[in-house]
Amino acid sequence: MRDTLEAAVEAARSAGASYADVRFVDTGTQEISVANGRVEGVESSASSGIGVRVIAEGRWGFAATSLLDTDSVTSAAREAVEIAKASALVAADPVRLSDVPIAEDRWEGPCDRDPFEVSLEDKIALLLAADEIMRAEESVSLTKAHLGFTRVHKHFASTVGSYIEQRYVESGGGIVAYAVGEGDVLPRSYPNSHGGDWRQGGWEVVEDFDLAGNAARVADQAAQLRSAAPCPSGVRDIIIDGSQIALQVHESIGHPTELDRVLGDEAAFAGTSFLHVEDLGALRYGSEHVTVTADATVPGSLGSFGYDDEGVPAQRDFIVTDGMFTGFQSSRESALAIGRVSNGCMRADGWNRIPLIRMTTISLEPGEWSLEDLIADTEDGLYFETNNSWSIDDRRLNFQFACEIGWEIKNGELGRMVKSPNYTGITPEFWGACDAVCSRDQWRVWGLPNCGKGEPMQVAHVAHGASPARFRGVQVGVGR
Amino acid sequence: MSEREDFARDIAARAVEMTDAEQTEAVVAASDVALTRFANNRIHQNVAETDVQVSVRAVIGTRQGVASTNHLDHDSLAACSEAAARAAASAPDDPDFPGLPEPRAVTQADRARDTTIAFDARSRALAVRSIIDQSDSRGLTAAGAVRAATHTLAVANSLGVDVAATNTGVKATVLSSGSHGGSGWASFTGPDASELAAPALGDEAATLAERSADPGELEPGRYEVVLAPEAVADIVDFLAYVGFSARAVTEGRSFMSGRTGEKVMSDSITILDDALADHAMGPTFDFEGMPKRRVALVEAGIAGRPVTDSYWAARTGSDNTGHALPAPNPYGPMPMNLEIAAGDATLDELVASVKRGVYVTRFHYVNVEEPVPVVLTGMTRDGTFLIEDGRLTRPLKNLRFTQGMVDALCDVRGVTSERRFVGSEMGASYVPGLALGSFAFTGQTG
Repeated sequence: MRDTLEAAVEAARSAGASYADVRFVDTGTQEISVANGRVEGVESSASSGIGVRVIAEGRWGFAATSLLDTDSVTSAAREAVEIAKASALVAADPVRLSDVPIAEDRWEGPCDRDPFEVSLEDKIALLLAADEIMRAEESVSLTKAHLGFTRVHKHFASTVGSYIEQRYVESGGGIVAYAVGEGDVLPRSYPNSHGGDWRQGGWEVVEDFDLAGNAARVADQAAQLRSAAPCPSGVRDIIIDGSQIALQVHESIGHPTELDRVLGDEAAFAGTSFLHVEDLGALRYGSEHVTVTADATVPGSLGSFGYDDEGVPAQRDFIVTDGMFTGFQSSRESALAIGRVSNGCMRADGWNRIPLIRMTTISLEPGEWSLEDLIADTEDGLYFETNNSWSIDDRRLNFQFACEIGWEIKNGELGRMVKSPNYTGITPEFWGACDAVCSRDQWRVWGLPNCGKGEPMQVAHVAHGASPARFRGVQVGVGR
Repeated sequence: MSEREDFARDIAARAVEMTDAEQTEAVVAASDVALTRFANNRIHQNVAETDVQVSVRAVIGTRQGVASTNHLDHDSLAACSEAAARAAASAPDDPDFPGLPEPRAVTQADRARDTTIAFDARSRALAVRSIIDQSDSRGLTAAGAVRAATHTLAVANSLGVDVAATNTGVKATVLSSGSHGGSGWASFTGPDASELAAPALGDEAATLAERSADPGELEPGRYEVVLAPEAVADIVDFLAYVGFSARAVTEGRSFMSGRTGEKVMSDSITILDDALADHAMGPTFDFEGMPKRRVALVEAGIAGRPVTDSYWAARTGSDNTGHALPAPNPYGPMPMNLEIAAGDATLDELVASVKRGVYVTRFHYVNVEEPVPVVLTGMTRDGTFLIEDGRLTRPLKNLRFTQGMVDALCDVRGVTSERRFVGSEMGASYVPGLALGSFAFTGQTG
């Protein structure tokens, strides 16, 4: 493989590229899904190919091919150069990149037991067992359970002189019980909604979920939601569980601190950001309780790697420090545009896509509280768990989230259950209203396997560390 | 296009032959996609990709397994077929599975255009330059993309299904932004690159950006609205996602559940799925190789029928409308050629009919809060205006809405005669502009 990649680098250089990187990516997946006791899907996929990214005449070009012979790959390299030259028909300043050290290295993610070696029968049996437990609850009319596994093997070569090989395995899954009726569709999920939870790792990740052990609770809560009161409307203090905090961080801190969005590169599709370059070190993003890191070195996280897809080493960086905005997520090109060097956030979702700035593990760092103490400290509020819906504007200011379930808090105790709770806010005001974050005991990393960005659309696997946190004076029950 | 189709059909036939399963289906999707992306009045991403995906579904008794690969050599196809058969052998019986469908006649349509296939990197760059010029010359900033694609889809199965089709598509989008908070949007989707009028598209977005500068506040509340086609497309796409599948209807998750033949929307609303229409884009058969039928989902406000595939047709005892997605499919059948029937008004006439309301160019980041009433939340963007006494009087900051869409479509004040495609060549919605009597805006970006 190395000879082929280096031939492509050389072909791009010979065709006029001032810079080229070539990535071979081989991805295998397996997905098993069950609904209402029926195995709905048993699917595996294999996809591999080579993508060549070049700068020629000061412009970017990219071409990709699934044909792995040297002739096809060098032809793709020459096509990428021709595309870059076509880009030069529109006047612009030449692309410049921040420096990157030469790397000759290998990196491998954790995996105790290869999930692709575990029999399909065992996987199906695990899902059917959890599904059967959920279906035992009479009020639950629809159940779903699924497992998914991904293995990725990548090679990277560039005109800088780097050659990097990386391998990792991801495992994920989840269950959901729905109570359906009287105009309601009320889901209750575990360990998370929208695809469950995911980590880098093998079969041990699935065993750790204990889907069957949580199925009865999930089904019981779905059933209780049928008779739960609607979430009240008004301004309340709210405590949000770790999984929803993870998505809140994702949408209102992760995306707006992507430097390509700030510089306008995603304006027409995903949007821009309320942040400006000059806000760095000057803007108050949240209260003093809010510290957020971008960390590509967290063991077992979906956001971890040895090197990003520009060959930049994995790093840990501070995005928000004690409430102050202190860092962007960047690429080699965007970092240089603001006089910095890349902090290694460029990833592509396959051989046929260019790398974009993608979140690594963007985490709300833990505070000091226990959840019990936090509830006890709340006189009149609401506690929300598990995301059900999300929306945020094109500058990442005005957001609205709905959760699967909530409970009233009265005089420091959890009270009656409420269904379909939602809340809305404006990003810096909301984070400014954070007055407590729970401790590392309740902090964990959540994997999000479905972050969409770019054209053509790319789906990144990212992660967020989070624990429950409290926010004062939030608008809830919107549109109810 | 027969060469591309013969190539894809040959691969599908080879894949079907390779398994020793009782029934086998192969879906081959060959695509050439190129996209030139621009922002800040420059091209910043420019990509091209060629790929062929082969997906094999093996059936043993009532057990199914699926595997896919993008490598076409004998060993890779054989490994893929083996993986599908192995998965089927491991799966439990599914007594409801009716088996793969028997072949049925498919109406072919010529939906590939040479002008699009020839729309190369230089052509795309020149189109981008024309678009950018319209913003740059007015002190505005343009962003967007020009994309050209050719897709060939072939489906074969061991019962004799053997169909293939090629279609092309061009999509161009433009966001024009000014320094005073104004932004405007325009888009084009069609099969033929020669129909892309790049300067006019750039002008439409830039003109809207100039007009929407210095936006002001609006108190949240219920307002009449005039929705341009791009905003209407979001609504009909979400109605389809949560409501128009036989699976959603059967499971009680749809506003159509138990309401067939009942009045659910205004008389002015007719929603169809029609892949056979002359103007439609994409293949005329589904991912099981079954002919797509015209389906009246809502007709003059009356709930019609949902779409089906072979599985959900058998489960519900109805006929197969030809709306299968690729197997395995956890979503159920899905309409991909949605239309809202045209009315007789112009967009200007809809605005003129409103005493006080809001004009919306398009929505952003829409999501479902409650599936049955199709309560959606999202934001407006790139051209939101206050309407007073039948005129657009001032631009507004982006508004958040939280609105049940079935309710909103019960009070329709007008429908435009002109419709636009919104989407891509594999699934675009063809929709008019709408005037609605009541729409709940629940917040605003500061």
